[in-house]
Amino acid sequence: MFIRVHPRQKYFLRKYMTTPTDIPPRWRLPLLACAIASLILGVAAGLLRMGWRVPLPSFDLVMLHGPLMIAGFFGTVISLERAVALARRWAYIGPLAAGAGGVALIVGAPLELGQWLLATGSAVLLVASSWVFWRQRALFTFTLATGAGCWLIGNLLWLSGLSVSAIVPWWSGFLVLTIAGERLELSRFLPPSPGAKRVFAHILAILLAGMTSATLTPRIGTLIFGAALLALAVWLLRQDIARRTVKEKGLTRYIAVCLLTGYVWLALSGAIILAAGGLAQGGLAYDAAVHALMLGFVFSMVFGHAPIIFPAVARVAMPYHPLFYVPLVLLHGSLALRLAGDLAANADWRSLGGAGNALALAVFILTVISALLRGRLSQRTHA
Amino acid sequence: MSELNEEAVRAALRSVNDPEVGMNVVELGLIYGIEIAPGTIRVRMTMTTPSCPMGAMITDEARAALKALAPEAEIDVQLVWEPPWDSSMMSAEAKKHFGW
Repeated sequence: MFIRVHPRQKYFLRKYMTTPTDIPPRWRLPLLACAIASLILGVAAGLLRMGWRVPLPSFDLVMLHGPLMIAGFFGTVISLERAVALARRWAYIGPLAAGAGGVALIVGAPLELGQWLLATGSAVLLVASSWVFWRQRALFTFTLATGAGCWLIGNLLWLSGLSVSAIVPWWSGFLVLTIAGERLELSRFLPPSPGAKRVFAHILAILLAGMTSATLTPRIGTLIFGAALLALAVWLLRQDIARRTVKEKGLTRYIAVCLLTGYVWLALSGAIILAAGGLAQGGLAYDAAVHALMLGFVFSMVFGHAPIIFPAVARVAMPYHPLFYVPLVLLHGSLALRLAGDLAANADWRSLGGAGNALALAVFILTVISALLRGRLSQRTHA
Repeated sequence: MSELNEEAVRAALRSVNDPEVGMNVVELGLIYGIEIAPGTIRVRMTMTTPSCPMGAMITDEARAALKALAPEAEIDVQLVWEPPWDSSMMSAEAKKHFGW
């Protein structure tokens, strides 16, 4: 497909989209701080929902647990990661808008303001990701751009008045496709397999079909979505380089362990959706499936990649330490307890598991901070 | 200090790893060109994709490795995207490692 570009537009494209104009790393820190504010308040809102007495600036935040976690935290962090990769100033409008959107939700600004800011952030991420696809036409760059598109669609549907639980497939699709695209990219180190690529493309199509139909007919749509998640987990477990890198040592092995355990949760999330006959909004199966996906799969990826992404974004050293496994074990253990609580309809197990999830995230943040301090100390020693 | 040649530069760059893959940038085929002129080392390298956020960090690590090799030299490490990386650029050793 060819698009005719006017010479003036061409000048604009060349000037603002291809000249490296990255921002200094210290300017990225306020954006990270916005994301972390969304994470902390989002987790606190989740705990309050489960019956834990957690102080919140406003009780309204209880209804915003999902938006704070997915859009305010992940949306900002992923947009920031993409902006750093592109090293273009305009791309930072994405994390700026998404971060501000999260803060707008926290401070109780009119809901529409937060929703518009998040929608703007997702639109910029889509432009940034499409730009990557334009530079490198490949299935994995297409998958990344499609993931950003899912976030934008979810945000627009939320703006149009749909409930958060109704748009969960789109927001989940954003995170799932972002991760899947990155894993597909890394699978290129393995011997080329046109068959595996074809299967991936089919799974992507089924995921998209599931998300689209879930908006119109939630039961059937989420069933398709669940089946696609399960298929994707099987694909990742077979095709990811983590199967090989888990035999390495140190940080490389730790990342692989995070990935492989995350894929098990992804499979479980898909299986729960299928077993429950779709994602009935608000039920115990909904809690189990969504949190197996978001905590088990997505946060495992975060735990694994923080030691390489954080130094890339903030330009600080974050040396590996075996203690990195502590929050990972806590996360998986507490999530297993939470899901057992969902399965047995045992509210105590469920809320204890939820508190354990929050504890795992807190321990993870402490691990990151201590690693950053160690990195700083060793840099000073070597200076 | 040993003589500064392309092999010495390549050896220094072997200390720069992609932590996720557990392999260095030379074996992964990310080094596109090495030019050595009196007082200057010029390296052109790439990442596997423009969506990788580690570009600036890894080029900094490459600069540090080369500075350690030749403290007096002017180091110029450029991140380039042409031609796009593909797996055929990996060394025979790297391919063997990944099961080719």
